[in-house]
Amino acid sequence: MNRNSPPPMNHNPLDDIDWDAFKRYRKLILIVPILLLLVAGAMSSFYIVQPEEEAVVKRFGRVVAQKEPGLHFKLPFGVDTAQMVPTARVLKQEFGFRTTGIDGRTSYRKDRVHQDESLMLTGDLKVIDVEWVVQYRVSDPDAFLHKVRDPEQTLRDVSEAVMRRIVGNSLGSDVLTEKRVQVAASAKQELQKAMEHFELGIQISTIELQDVTPPGPVKPAFNEVNQAEQERERYINEAEKRRNQVIPRAEGQARQVIAEAEGYAAKRINAAKGETERFTAIYEAYLKAPQVTRERMYLEMIDKVLPKAGKIYIMEEGANAPLPLLNLGDGTTTFPKAK
Amino acid sequence: MLNKQIFSFGAIVVAIAGTFLLYASVYTLDEAEQAVIVQLGAPVGDPVTEPGLHFKKPFIQEVRRFDKRVISWDGDPNQIPTRGEQFISVDTTARWRIADPLVFMQRVQNERGATMRLNDILDSVVRDKISATDLVEIVRSKDWKISEEDLARVQINGESDEEILLKEVKTGRQELVRSILVQAASQMPELGIELIDIRIKRIDYVEAVEQRVFDRMIAERQRIAEQFRSEGEGRAAEIDGDTKKSLAEIQSEAERAAEAIRGRADAEASRIYSQAFGADPEFYKFLRTLESYTSTLGASTTLMLGTDSEYFRYLRNVDAPEAVAK
Repeated sequence: MNRNSPPPMNHNPLDDIDWDAFKRYRKLILIVPILLLLVAGAMSSFYIVQPEEEAVVKRFGRVVAQKEPGLHFKLPFGVDTAQMVPTARVLKQEFGFRTTGIDGRTSYRKDRVHQDESLMLTGDLKVIDVEWVVQYRVSDPDAFLHKVRDPEQTLRDVSEAVMRRIVGNSLGSDVLTEKRVQVAASAKQELQKAMEHFELGIQISTIELQDVTPPGPVKPAFNEVNQAEQERERYINEAEKRRNQVIPRAEGQARQVIAEAEGYAAKRINAAKGETERFTAIYEAYLKAPQVTRERMYLEMIDKVLPKAGKIYIMEEGANAPLPLLNLGDGTTTFPKAK
Repeated sequence: MLNKQIFSFGAIVVAIAGTFLLYASVYTLDEAEQAVIVQLGAPVGDPVTEPGLHFKKPFIQEVRRFDKRVISWDGDPNQIPTRGEQFISVDTTARWRIADPLVFMQRVQNERGATMRLNDILDSVVRDKISATDLVEIVRSKDWKISEEDLARVQINGESDEEILLKEVKTGRQELVRSILVQAASQMPELGIELIDIRIKRIDYVEAVEQRVFDRMIAERQRIAEQFRSEGEGRAAEIDGDTKKSLAEIQSEAERAAEAIRGRADAEASRIYSQAFGADPEFYKFLRTLESYTSTLGASTTLMLGTDSEYFRYLRNVDAPEAVAK
């Protein structure tokens, strides 16, 4: 350009230019840049907002509008700029683990770094491993873009701080069991309040506690407790089993003993009745002729007894020494008592 | 012809120069930005915070842009002893923003400088506050409360734990954090910074302490496990004892009943006998004696009978007894 502007004295460089050619293509030289300019302007004067998005429109850097999904027009050449923010999408942050693959089977990873996220102190000054997930949505795209420089990092930091405050104010055994839901609920509430405080433009959908476990080295001891609890039940069941084996048998035996006694009773009474009936019969006969019956009975007895007796001595009246009827015994001699 | 050409080129040059001049005297400010206008090294006027299109003097004024948004600060974890001499690792995080870009530019120049100053100030305030506070006050919050029920549930651990659990929280985590914020924030205006928030992100035991805590937790679990086992054994023994007791009761009760039945039968038999035999006791004695002779005398018996006995009487004399008697 410099070469063209100052007119020289002797030789005019403009003479070298083929002005005829310039004139020939003059129109074209003007039309092409204008055409290019028009195309570029047209290209930069509309934008499309996807269904899950909202657009923040800025004119010279100042926010002038927010647009819903669809086709929209704007001033071209960077005067207006549109930034899309996925407001309808539910976003997720994971603490204490990371989802690594979701094709086929979901797999998780837990490294030392993630471990540090999830290990925390409980109110009884013990350590617990709490994994959780925060689900959130961008509710105010303008605030999300312009109030805080890195909203996601702020959300991470604040939710770690909030979760630790709440777990630090609870008993470890409660967080492990019945207070899980309560912890998640108060964390959500507190986190939402912090989001509003920072004007992050984020709405917390849920906080869900995932695995809440004792720290790694302590886990076996916790399992031992579960085992011991089952052992306790087993001991009790076994004792009850032993009891069930013994008691019904003993009850049966008791009934046996009683039945036997009742048998004895029947036998004893019947024997008594039989014997007395026999006596009564004999007695009635005896009464008819007492003396004769007596002697007959006596002799009948002798009939029975004498043949059975081993040795019989008959002694003369008044004799001192016994006079054996048969003296072939073993030499043992019985002396009669003096009558 | 030539003049006309020179004129048209001159117009182009003027247009280009004009555009250039306009461009140099206009600037835009984003929604997230604020700026200080510097004229030949000296700041001019108030900082510009309104986003949009702005004008300045071309060439001699330049625009220094600063972030208007809230910025994160993340400290390195610090090992700090608490008032109870327990070493813990404390990780803090803070939010701040450039409140006065002019002062900010003069004092710390840029965010790098600001971060370095923040490191110094926040680390030292956190260190001061933490080391003057008990661990329970850092971990728990003001509304820490432990019910009798909870205490009973976790009491298996012994006296000292009970003491720790019952310890009243005087300030608590939130109040501690607030006082850190207040003290640190007071040093911020001179840096052109506003400290919005500071939080304790993580508190962890240092490694050696952590191992001790783990050991304690393991010991506690093992105690509970032992308790369960001995509870089981105790209950089993109780049931076994109960079984033995029931057994003895059942057996002795049966025996008692059996004895009573036998006794009643014996008594009944006895009554039957005495009723029948009472008719003539002498005859009964006679009859019974004869029967007794029959059954008691046998092969092993040696009988010695006098010739004067009733049976042998006829051996010597066959007279009628009346004659003998006479």
